[in-house]
Amino acid sequence: MTVIYVLLPIAVILAFAFAVMFVWATRDGQFDDLNTPQIRMLFDDDATSVASKPRDVSIGKERS
Amino acid sequence: MTAPPPSGKDDAAGACACAHCGLPVPAELRRLVAPSFCCPGCETVFGMIHGAGLAHYYDLQRNDIDRAALPASPRFSTYAEFDDPEFQRLHARVEGDHRRIELYLEGVHCAACVWLVERLPDIVEGAVSARLDFGRSVASVTWEPQRVALSKVVSALDRFGYVPHPYRSADRRALARREERAMLIRLGVAGAVAGNTMLMGVALYAGATSDPAIASFLRWLSLGVSIPAVFWSGQTFFRGAWAGLRARTLHMDVPVSLAIITAIGASIWDTTTGVGGVYFDSVTMLIFLLLSARWVQFRALRASTDASELLFSLAPSTARLVASDGSSREVPVETILTNQVVEIRAGESAPVDGTVLQGSSRLDNALLTGESLPVEVHEGDEVSAGAVNLQARLLVRVVAAGENTRVGRLVAAVQAAQRRRAPIVQLADRLAVGFVVGVLALSVASGALWWSHGAQVVVERVVAMLVVTCPCALGLATPLAIAHSLGAAARIGIFVKGADTIEALTRIRTVLLDKTGTLTQGRVALTRFDGSPQLSEKVAAIEAHSSHPLAKAVLESRSSKVPMIEAIDVTDTAGGGVRGRVGGEAIAVGNAAYLATLGCSVPEVWRKQADDVARSDGSPVLVAVDGVVCGLMVFGDALREDAVESVASLRKLGLNLGILSGDHPGVVARVARQLGINADAAHGAVTPEGKLNRVEGLMQGGTAVAMVGDGVNDAGALAAARVGIAVRGGAEISLASADVFLTRGGLAPAVELFHGARKTLFVIHRGLAISMIYNLVGAGLALAGLIDPLAAAILMPVSSLSVVLSSMGSTPFSRKPAVPGNRPLLVRGEEVAA
Repeated sequence: MTVIYVLLPIAVILAFAFAVMFVWATRDGQFDDLNTPQIRMLFDDDATSVASKPRDVSIGKERS
Repeated sequence: MTAPPPSGKDDAAGACACAHCGLPVPAELRRLVAPSFCCPGCETVFGMIHGAGLAHYYDLQRNDIDRAALPASPRFSTYAEFDDPEFQRLHARVEGDHRRIELYLEGVHCAACVWLVERLPDIVEGAVSARLDFGRSVASVTWEPQRVALSKVVSALDRFGYVPHPYRSADRRALARREERAMLIRLGVAGAVAGNTMLMGVALYAGATSDPAIASFLRWLSLGVSIPAVFWSGQTFFRGAWAGLRARTLHMDVPVSLAIITAIGASIWDTTTGVGGVYFDSVTMLIFLLLSARWVQFRALRASTDASELLFSLAPSTARLVASDGSSREVPVETILTNQVVEIRAGESAPVDGTVLQGSSRLDNALLTGESLPVEVHEGDEVSAGAVNLQARLLVRVVAAGENTRVGRLVAAVQAAQRRRAPIVQLADRLAVGFVVGVLALSVASGALWWSHGAQVVVERVVAMLVVTCPCALGLATPLAIAHSLGAAARIGIFVKGADTIEALTRIRTVLLDKTGTLTQGRVALTRFDGSPQLSEKVAAIEAHSSHPLAKAVLESRSSKVPMIEAIDVTDTAGGGVRGRVGGEAIAVGNAAYLATLGCSVPEVWRKQADDVARSDGSPVLVAVDGVVCGLMVFGDALREDAVESVASLRKLGLNLGILSGDHPGVVARVARQLGINADAAHGAVTPEGKLNRVEGLMQGGTAVAMVGDGVNDAGALAAARVGIAVRGGAEISLASADVFLTRGGLAPAVELFHGARKTLFVIHRGLAISMIYNLVGAGLALAGLIDPLAAAILMPVSSLSVVLSSMGSTPFSRKPAVPGNRPLLVRGEEVAA
């Protein structure tokens, strides 16, 4: 059973590491918005490239 | 089931969906060749999206079955004010070479919108990134000021159908976000610690104590792990308890802190001496559970606050400043100085207080004063910020801007009223006093009972008593029930902004109602037409040629199914009336003086009726055919459809009702009569300050008052009342000062609110009762000496789980409007009685 003296501290250190990661992720703002990421992950990254390079759009144009 | 793709083509049934938003296309806009659009806005946006190579948007939109169909309505403004240095100083932040601004976007309605908005850098050269928070419709946009002007960036958003507004509560929001993150970190640390100590606790309970070396090792490790949870995450409770004690009040944090300190103290002592049980797992679990409940409540409250704060962003932020050469440009309203001249176009609201320099028009002051009929203004007349210009362009010389306007001064009064209001002590906190006394008495009893067994046993029993009676479930009951109730309320458009509001609502005795906009429509409508139906059609034909607000009301009242008849030779006389020819008859519509100038004869019957109307409740307008009056129209502010029923429901709840209105006493008395409200309780011609004073007077007299209103003139009263309930469609300031904010108009949601609050209080009571039962059982077991750390570790989660289930299983707010009296419960009661 003496192995417990090694295993338990390792487990606690691992837990500590995860807690630190959680703190970092929270400070990074990863939990600020819980609604959008679930939508965002559904978008294909290459979807825009299908339509080749986007043409320049004249923004200032008024209703024609 | 997915909706048919909005292809812009006719489907089999002959209906045609807009190629952009999917709404039906009106017949006259339908085209032979696809695509067709429901409105020019959609057509422009469709062209922009295709032109930018972002047609993928429509594939994404089609996949989103939850999307709400929403026609695009770009504003086509130049957004020049976004480039003003003062504007950017107020709303944007500098980040190295880049700048960042938070924008509230109108028109975000589906998942594909996230994709489209975040493609902004592909479309506009110089835009660096765009991130959209879908839940709040707030986009964070970063751009390079050297490469592109902000106005270009926001114009692009506008042309894609998302009208941008500077997000005004950004500072407050940043503060709230910091607080939320800190809370979440405390919660996460407490959770990690609770999980790990529990694992070690299980080892101890399962028999690891048989080897003293391993038992001691596990205890020391638990002690080490628990320290951050107790002394860092647990600080919240110690701070709260200390603040409460210094203010000489006891609230829930005091017994919680007492339990934590006793348990951790005893556990540390037992660990160092190696004798007795340790409670590390129970303590950390307690901290974790209580912090989670508070976090859940905090998030529910924040969601409600966010929803109302977003509306601030919709307040007009710009004014049209007129230069000496007569040209006008849009500038941020914050930069306007007195004696400058601003232009107010029809449909816009006045950004400042001032006097009319040029032009004449009608102003809608409903939100400012509660007057339901528009006021005519001419050169030299005063205009107040917030008044809506209904008719024609005005040039106004600025007398006061910003905080010095009438509205601005009212804001100060509102804040003062809010400061004066005493906070509500929540039920759970009132229980805390008795609770602390009870727990201490039980501990003493337990000590006395085991006195003969020696000091070691006495300490053990007392600690066990304090730990097992710790108010964990008690602390969960209120926040969870409130969070659950707030979430349910928000889904049906009721946003409650304070945790104590629900309890306060159940103690309300008197409800004061604003008239204009709350009980009535808040705009002029045709309330009565005396005359033949054919005549009303002829009048409508004439009024179709007039731009007068009353003409608009006539057209709104008529059914659109009947084809309009044509009128010819229509002449509109300002301040008088309108006349023309319909089907060979000369029709004249106007006031008595106007008809007299045309030489029309007014029979005595009609003159008398018109006089009666003018005296009692509205504006009479006479109709003459071929020179003889034979019809009368009455204009006024019509009651909302749900008003009578809602007022009856409120009365059935045992509430006293009253009206506080800024409108003319005669009109108020008529509304009160229609609703069956006592004439003594209906007050007209009350100033904003008068409303505030009346509410404060009643409150000082010991009556718990709720105020329901929508206008600027209600803001002070909303802030002073025990519970202020603001109705959407009103002014932003009244939302800021209210505790509850209803997104649906009328009183029906207010009725649901009162019902929901009572149900929620019942759930809170039930949760408190459940946790009390567990505590009594625990105390009994502790007295009998049956509580050891294992029993405590089982009792606490079980009691907490019962309370969680009790809170979450309730349905305080349902979509169906609750109508007392129609409840099937009554029927069942009668059956039992029979």
